[in-house]
Amino acid sequence: MSRQAYDQALAIAPDALRAPWTRRARDAVLLILALAALVGMAIDLELAPGALMAGFSKLGRFLGEMVPPSTGGQSVRILKALAETFAMAFAGTVIAAVVALPLGVIGAKTVVSNAALHFAFRRFLDIFRGVPALVWALILVSAFGLGPFAGVVALALADTPNLAKLFSEALENSDPKPIEGVRSAGASPLAVMRFGLAPQFAPVATSQTLFFLEGNFRNAGVLGIVGAGGIGFELDERIRIFAFDEVAFIILLYMVAVACLDTLSRALRNRLA
Amino acid sequence: MTSAVEVFERDRRRMLVRQRTQAAIGLAVFTVLLLVSFQRSQFFGSDIGGDPLGRMADFLQRMNPGLKPELLLEDRQTRGSLHSWFYALPIWLRAAWQTVEMAILATALGSILALGASFLTAQNLMPFAPVRFVVRRILEAIRTLPDLIMALILVAAFGVGPLAGVLTLTISTLGGLGKLFAEINEEIDPRQLEALQAAGAGPLKKIRYGVMPQVLPNYASYALIRLEGNLAGAAALGIVGAGGIGLELQRAITYTEFDTYLAILLIIIAMIFLIDLFSEAVRHRLIGLEKA
Repeated sequence: MSRQAYDQALAIAPDALRAPWTRRARDAVLLILALAALVGMAIDLELAPGALMAGFSKLGRFLGEMVPPSTGGQSVRILKALAETFAMAFAGTVIAAVVALPLGVIGAKTVVSNAALHFAFRRFLDIFRGVPALVWALILVSAFGLGPFAGVVALALADTPNLAKLFSEALENSDPKPIEGVRSAGASPLAVMRFGLAPQFAPVATSQTLFFLEGNFRNAGVLGIVGAGGIGFELDERIRIFAFDEVAFIILLYMVAVACLDTLSRALRNRLA
Repeated sequence: MTSAVEVFERDRRRMLVRQRTQAAIGLAVFTVLLLVSFQRSQFFGSDIGGDPLGRMADFLQRMNPGLKPELLLEDRQTRGSLHSWFYALPIWLRAAWQTVEMAILATALGSILALGASFLTAQNLMPFAPVRFVVRRILEAIRTLPDLIMALILVAAFGVGPLAGVLTLTISTLGGLGKLFAEINEEIDPRQLEALQAAGAGPLKKIRYGVMPQVLPNYASYALIRLEGNLAGAAALGIVGAGGIGLELQRAITYTEFDTYLAILLIIIAMIFLIDLFSEAVRHRLIGLEKA
């Protein structure tokens, strides 16, 4: 842009080429304040550069020890732990879906039309939606003792409110026309549900449940850290004794298993959609 | 010769048979998986101490802080007062604030890194394919690795404390947001980029004046959603030694102070609730600005 054209443009519409200085000053001050706040937080958390450097050199050593990965002669035990992790995820998801179904029906605006009741129930679910599975696991391990049972219940508890919310939204979003159509043909309420509602609701609900199964398989892998069994327990044990070649093997195996389940579940979900 | 009706009926029968076989196979696979899962996870096993419902009830009872209405405002020594239930409230609030700080720092750092990564993976901004491929695979690998496993390794390397937590969340934010940002980058209007190119702008100027104004509101919105997730994540990471309120939760369990556990859990829930409200308000304002 030539100098002359620039001056002309500036004379006609100054704000188009350059923001007014008040706004630029305000933006600069906001940016500096935000940066200062972040630095302040880092200082408050005592994030020292020295510790960072020392940690990175340690991390580098760990990563070096990870090659080549090794089973440590315990491949059967590790595979069993992997199966246990999947079992926890599967059982937990199924229980959550079964419990969430009636809760979802109650939470649907189309079923319970009282606004206050609807609001109260949704907020009630919201309170529990924030609690991560690990927090449940921590509590349940001390109630039920070490083992996968606590993990299953933890996953179920963490998922139920989330699934219930999604189920009630799916119910609310279902098209009323097929339902009215079946009803106008003189069908019983049960038949209305079966032929009017279920064909719309079931694929959505199944797809969401599969999605949670994927998530749970990832989550179940870490529940073992607090004593809820499965692959996380094996992993935690080996990290504690710095056996990083075995750690690498378990992580790789687990990542492959997660990828397999994701692919399978995505294929199923695509067929449902 | 077969009539159209016969053909239709035959095809329909075949379809029904196929559907029913598929449903039966699906149901059988599901049932077997479910039974094996219950068996493997010892869901109906005996090693949970016989009477699980009784134990659960007992457990809930121990979580009850035993508040007495007439003693609520008494001092710390009186059992049944709020003060004796939330006996270390200043420490817990401090730890909760640390968790919030961890989440904010990690979201900010992770977003900045994701910003850089997103330009390296967007098809319309990075013409060199091998770079796109490598950065994309790295982001994918990060997303596959569960946060807590990463945290375990980083706690081993960086020691117990918030540093390991911030690093874990930063890396996982990079993985998650990098992909989302790249998708936003690929959906921008190419005409503005072409106009800048025609005016002779370099790659950095193109990003600054052609891309940023289009993508910034969407970026901010995703980063704020991520902040909500990171807060819950930061609380959980504390349990494996990455600092903040999770550490206090772990401590309460170790000392079997179940009423304390409930108190800290309430603080975590309140903290997540407040950040959700804040982030939702900001996001709605951003979307409003975008429309205006």
